[in-house]
Amino acid sequence: MPISGVVITTRPEDLDQTQRFLAACVGVEVHGADDQGNIVAVFDTRTTGEMEHLLKTVNACPLVLHAGITYLNMEDVVDDEGLNSGTFR
Amino acid sequence: MAQTRRDFLKMTAALSAASFVGVQLPLQEQQLAHAKDAEAWHRGTCRLCGVGCRLELGMKDGVPFALRGVADARTNYGFLCMKGMHFWQCLGHKERLKKPLYRAKKSDPFKEISWDKALDIAASQFADAVKKNGPNSVAYYGSGQCLTEETYLFQKIMRGGLQTNNVDGNPRLCMASAVGGYLGSFGADEPIGSYADLEKAHCFFIIGSNTAEAHPVLFRRIMRRKLDNPEVKVINADPRVSQTSRIADKHLQFKPGTDLSLLNAMANVIIEEKLHDQAFLTNYVAFKQGKEGQDASFEEYAKFVAPYTPEAAAKTCGGKITAEDIRQVARWFATSKGTMSLWCMGINQRKQGVWANNLIHNLHILTGQLLKEGADSFSLTGQPNACGGVREAGGLCHILPGHRPVEKEKMRNQVEEAWGVPLGRIPAEPGMHTMSMFTGINEGKIKAIWINCTSPAQSLPNCNLYNKGLATDDCFTICTDIFKTRTTEFANLILPAAFHFEKTGVYGCTERRQQLTRKAVKAPGEAKPEVWIAREWAKRLAAKLNDPVIAQCIKPFEGLEEDFALPQAIWDEYTQKLTKGRDNDLRGVSYAVLARMADGVQWPAPTEEFALTGGTAKKFVKGIDPMADSESKNDLPYQFYGPAHEDRKLWIWLRPQADPSEIPDAEYPFYLSTGRIIDHWHTMSMTGRIPELLRANPHAFVEINPKDAEKLGIKPGDMIEITSRRGTNVLPAKVYEGPIEGTVFAYWHDQEANRMINKVTKDDYDPSAKEPEFKICAVKIKRISGPKPLTPFIVS
Repeated sequence: MPISGVVITTRPEDLDQTQRFLAACVGVEVHGADDQGNIVAVFDTRTTGEMEHLLKTVNACPLVLHAGITYLNMEDVVDDEGLNSGTFR
Repeated sequence: MAQTRRDFLKMTAALSAASFVGVQLPLQEQQLAHAKDAEAWHRGTCRLCGVGCRLELGMKDGVPFALRGVADARTNYGFLCMKGMHFWQCLGHKERLKKPLYRAKKSDPFKEISWDKALDIAASQFADAVKKNGPNSVAYYGSGQCLTEETYLFQKIMRGGLQTNNVDGNPRLCMASAVGGYLGSFGADEPIGSYADLEKAHCFFIIGSNTAEAHPVLFRRIMRRKLDNPEVKVINADPRVSQTSRIADKHLQFKPGTDLSLLNAMANVIIEEKLHDQAFLTNYVAFKQGKEGQDASFEEYAKFVAPYTPEAAAKTCGGKITAEDIRQVARWFATSKGTMSLWCMGINQRKQGVWANNLIHNLHILTGQLLKEGADSFSLTGQPNACGGVREAGGLCHILPGHRPVEKEKMRNQVEEAWGVPLGRIPAEPGMHTMSMFTGINEGKIKAIWINCTSPAQSLPNCNLYNKGLATDDCFTICTDIFKTRTTEFANLILPAAFHFEKTGVYGCTERRQQLTRKAVKAPGEAKPEVWIAREWAKRLAAKLNDPVIAQCIKPFEGLEEDFALPQAIWDEYTQKLTKGRDNDLRGVSYAVLARMADGVQWPAPTEEFALTGGTAKKFVKGIDPMADSESKNDLPYQFYGPAHEDRKLWIWLRPQADPSEIPDAEYPFYLSTGRIIDHWHTMSMTGRIPELLRANPHAFVEINPKDAEKLGIKPGDMIEITSRRGTNVLPAKVYEGPIEGTVFAYWHDQEANRMINKVTKDDYDPSAKEPEFKICAVKIKRISGPKPLTPFIVS
């Protein structure tokens, strides 16, 4: 169960819109925010591959200036499949 | 309500994130039902870029299980990037090299052999080459990822023992232009300021750096500064729009290779509008021109930049920049309370790399945007110890430890005396730099090479050419590494090395900060620290060549255990004997001091008492830098005591726009530029073995501007053939409003034969720094098919 603590930073004026975007992302829980544009979130995914994908998705959002991991727990990781199949992208 | 372990972990994660940014959550750490694990955390630094993030390695039952940031760390304030979070997985990786491997011929299969035999073979091969062909027939090629102790000991054995300066390292491919720029402009290598200036700057000029991906933790600090202070200006100058551009007030997108015009035009605006700092120029500055650095004057400089009008430069830069853009950024640069420039490979990996560095420094010198809070001309470093080890401890062919030029007899004699070897032992001529070293292999001049912790078979430009030489049996090739790489495929002897946290030593990061990482984990199998390998090899070399001077080189280190006492003795010799009175004076920075100073120490730090304050945050400023006081020659507050400028002045250089080595033509109509992606480190021998990072970017791709894609009928994901005069790659396309029209951009980490972009890049290099122009060459591109599934590839 990969779980990470993440600080997502956006422009203060984009805070609400960014939180709405994050609310729509499966695996993201928003725990708090401040008026400087920092959003405290937890990512909870089934596999580490999903964790990376989620981080990439959040970083790719034009509203997001930076998503920084502060904590990462990877115990009981479910094995990812198909790493070498070339089909997962 | 019972708390599950999952809930506990989520709360821990949320609190960790909240604590880094001061957000209050309706949770308190003491309310958590701590599920205590038998954990221990070991302090160290990250090894996957030049930022020098402080982190801790987590151990459970004697086995590494995590890395974490530390909230009060001065470099990273607890943040780590995904590479930093994950590299612990290399420690116990099943593909680690565990025993020495040998084959007499490169066509033979490898066989496991004992260390005794391996070291004997390594010594015999080097000794035989020296006896038959002279000292310059052997070479050492190191890395900005080696610990300082490793670089120092290898170069000592090569120079003092084997009497050759054929010592170079992969920082030649990334930082040599920055070295040349700093020496030429400031008289001293490495930045004047520190990361602490980021929080004080009022204007950032980020040029030739995708900081958001290559130095993500530093980018966070820049971004935070901008968001907290919207009046702070961020200028991003780059041929490619990147994640870094997102925070820019102004993005200057120029045609590759035209930035010298841009920089001269900014200087022109500053002079025209009288925004320069006349008092600073009068007190501290000289003007120079030509190859020999002939004297010039301010008037001559003003006349020199006069033709670089904003209008002319905008035209040269390719039409996406207006003259008013140039005027505006020049004004921001000159008039802010503190301007900080940051650059990386986009400036350094150029045929005019030194000149480009000089022209950035020119702007700072001209405006006095130096030496005060928030102002600096700050080159970002790519590797964790390119500065501390290679630049400072003698890892380049022309520089001895302590920033001493090889060609100066007095400098050589100081080193010889410190080592207790006969005067004249170190050759007077600089050795072969990286490109001449591998050319030398192709030409049969190098008969034995030791490649330590780097993979030139993939990282050299135009690598097909140099791999021909490496593939022959004419040059006996030794590799020390933790995993197999594209280069170990050309080795005769592979020696398994200990990894970070499996050995003890110092890294010196971008801001002159030295940090100690101690051994916390046993290396797998028979892997050994390089300092042990080098010492044992030298012992055998001395016997085979019957040369007591080689034995003398390792005499101070005989019998010391390799996990702590040996690297400590090497560090002590280097710092106490060879940095005294030098601009990187490290005499106060003992292992004991580094153990006490969690964030390490910035040089110069001549005394222990001063080192225990953290060292020098700003060089050359009296009251901050102890050497500015001890070396003071007058009443002025700034003292430029750097070794390269006898006049103790900063130099503004008259440098013209000059084209890159190769520009597009009818046959090869596109520019190609290359760079790093956030998830991978260099040639991905480490990050490619970490599933989380491999998944994030399992193969390289090429970015192409939508307008170019439309013209060529290329759709997202289509397979594209990229061909230069040197080689071809086949890569999937990412159609993206990133590169400027007429330019494609590819990532260089991929090991797969058809996706190694350095088969395509050009190997021409800066005539002064000898750093190759990875960043610019001419290519043609062709769609060859629709999207195809691709398999990640790692050498096994």
